[in-house]
Amino acid sequence: MSTAATGVAHATPRARTTDGAEVPAVSAAQMAEVDRLAVEEFGIDLLQMMEQAGSHLAELARRLLGGDLRGKRIVVAVGPGNNGGGGLVAARHLADRGATVRSVLSRPALRLSDAGRHQLATLLAMEVSCCVATFDLDDVELADVLGGADLVIDALLGYSSSGAPRDEIGRVVEAIEAAGRPVLSLDLPSGLDADTGDVAEPAIRAMATMTLALPKTGLLSADGPGRVGDLYLADIGLPTALYRRLGLDVGTPFATGRIVPLAISA
Amino acid sequence: MTAPPPRPLAEKLGLLRELDLFQGLSDADIEAIGHATTMTHCERGQQIASPDDPPDRIHILKKGRVRVYRMTADGKQLTLDIYEKGTILGDMALLGQQRLPDAYAEAVDDSVVCTITPDELRRLVERFPIIGVNVISHLSRRLSDAERDLETMAYARVGQRLARRLVDLAARFGVATGEGTRIDARLTQQELAELIGTTRETLAHTIADFRRRGLLDHEKHSVTIRDAERLAEIAEGESD
Repeated sequence: MSTAATGVAHATPRARTTDGAEVPAVSAAQMAEVDRLAVEEFGIDLLQMMEQAGSHLAELARRLLGGDLRGKRIVVAVGPGNNGGGGLVAARHLADRGATVRSVLSRPALRLSDAGRHQLATLLAMEVSCCVATFDLDDVELADVLGGADLVIDALLGYSSSGAPRDEIGRVVEAIEAAGRPVLSLDLPSGLDADTGDVAEPAIRAMATMTLALPKTGLLSADGPGRVGDLYLADIGLPTALYRRLGLDVGTPFATGRIVPLAISA
Repeated sequence: MTAPPPRPLAEKLGLLRELDLFQGLSDADIEAIGHATTMTHCERGQQIASPDDPPDRIHILKKGRVRVYRMTADGKQLTLDIYEKGTILGDMALLGQQRLPDAYAEAVDDSVVCTITPDELRRLVERFPIIGVNVISHLSRRLSDAERDLETMAYARVGQRLARRLVDLAARFGVATGEGTRIDARLTQQELAELIGTTRETLAHTIADFRRRGLLDHEKHSVTIRDAERLAEIAEGESD
């Protein structure tokens, strides 16, 4: 597919890593094309990418919690899509590294994506606590669980969702916001539009956001910068050759590490 | 996305959703069946099925909603799915249905459940042979679907897989409208993506591409095929 067809604009907002390297931001449609190429042309399957996303997310959580996960209480809010699957991978790493983890699914377990169910099966075998908001936890219990957390991970919605978080997902977003605990968002704060940066009601206000592969334009535009907290970019192993196919000049943002802080380029 | 290996948790209780056991029967016949089988009125929270139940029975949810859950290691419940009226759940091996291990089912609200045991089903088939025909049609469709899915997964690209699935869904659920053939299969994008073995993101991208090319229109949970001929060509792999 040509770059024109996927809508690469010349005025794309850019972000900059701490060593000064510029990284282009992409729209949700471009990111979908990146994912498609990864799977279909480069043989990098979803579980591979998800594993890296979740493992980096756990590592970033460790850093944000002062360097030692032992005894830390972490709630992972899990959406039905692949963003939620990444959250479940993070839950596995966090639990195995000493944190007390509670996974709260926004929808029933079998409504998870295939890859998400795969991750959930591992967590259940590990006997990590998993439950479904609305059905297994009433509002008071959910508020208690969230209120007692040292960190809440927001893995509810990814770049492909748009509009206000609805139904069960909306209720979990509202509960997280009401709890007022520090939130680490995966890819983008749920409720923030990945393209425009417009914020829906309800939406997450994150202490930090770890976005995957490339920043999404919405993180750098409109309400985005006020919602993402500290912004990080994480490497999920997508090759430069893939970006070149889409006409994206990405450079080497991960030369100094696999999770790098990002600042908006002037 | 490549499909992960099958796991017990990934098996769905709802495999029989598409089976209309009683298709072709008159209202009077269905009324008679209602009398011949066990119809249970369940209050909210009442248990309908448990891992301790005898195997090989199915429950047809006539009214209300049912929550299916399992117990986790810490003794708490984990909700697996919520089923609506019309769903058939159970583990009748005769119908190619497998039991979800350790699953319980309970009524979410006041419900009516029709339970059929293997003996009852046998008696029903003797009295209403059309039920046996429906079972055979269901099984043969599942078999041919499975064979074709295997072939499709192995060789076809996402666009072709989507086109094939849409052609198939249109044949089964399609309704002719002024704009084209509307498919009201009530599938979410996630479910459709899983059916064709791709991610929701890739599916959304492919649907957008088809829409741009005038092949279809897509609204929430509903697809209207505008150019059936061209879609069939893509499904056959003639071009994409």
